[in-house]
Amino acid sequence: MLKFYLLHHLENEKIIMLLRRHWFIIFKKIALWTIVAILPLIFYFVAGDVLVGLLPPDLAYPISILFISIYYLYIWLFMFHSFVDYYLDVWIVTTERIVNIEQKGLFARQVSEQKLYRIQDVTSELKGFFSTILNYGLVHIQTAGEKPRFIFKEIPDPQGVAKKIIKIVEENKKFHQLMEKEDKINTRNQ
Amino acid sequence: MAIPLAIFYYLYLVFVLVFLIFTLFNIYHLVRFGFLTLGNIAMITFYIIVSILILLISWRYISNINWQQEIQLIPTFPI
Repeated sequence: MLKFYLLHHLENEKIIMLLRRHWFIIFKKIALWTIVAILPLIFYFVAGDVLVGLLPPDLAYPISILFISIYYLYIWLFMFHSFVDYYLDVWIVTTERIVNIEQKGLFARQVSEQKLYRIQDVTSELKGFFSTILNYGLVHIQTAGEKPRFIFKEIPDPQGVAKKIIKIVEENKKFHQLMEKEDKINTRNQ
Repeated sequence: MAIPLAIFYYLYLVFVLVFLIFTLFNIYHLVRFGFLTLGNIAMITFYIIVSILILLISWRYISNINWQQEIQLIPTFPI
């Protein structure tokens, strides 16, 4: 699985967390498109006669058929695109680094990563009614240097995730310190 | 002034072509960048089946229309 997501995976590297947005985010989008799909039916029952009367009778039927077909084809396409966008935004925490993969539309894909030992600060944020009730939100990850901080967007249980990342980062830093000491001892002995 | 009804049909075909192109792009992204789980494959299959259904139902109605007829945009009056 690691090879699939991370093309240049490191030796002995293991995935600890693979995160996507909370299910409610995709549910909201699908609910919105469902409402848009129902709208023509509402218009038809409320003002169907008026709408049909706007066009010449021999034009109304073919145009309506074509319009309805295009309308539902594109709603279906947008629903699917919402799923693709949801499914392809992934945040991965491995034993060595964090990877941020974001699909931005159909023609842009951003993949960025940061080594765990460079992480300085991890903050979780719950904001809004649904976010508080369903327990999803942001996790900000600040790294050393001037690089912009990583943001895990609308992920489930942001506080738990932040705690887990802090723990992994501490363990990773300890490991790197030990490795450095070992390297120094080895170079002295040589 | 009269215009052939087929113009709307060709315009519809252009929209369907754009739909197919974007569909291919979306499926390509899911296959190329998404992990091929059973859920992902099921989602792609479900999407393709519903798309084919929409197109087939549309075709059932569209094929019954005489696209050769012409539409009078400005009504003509006998002299």
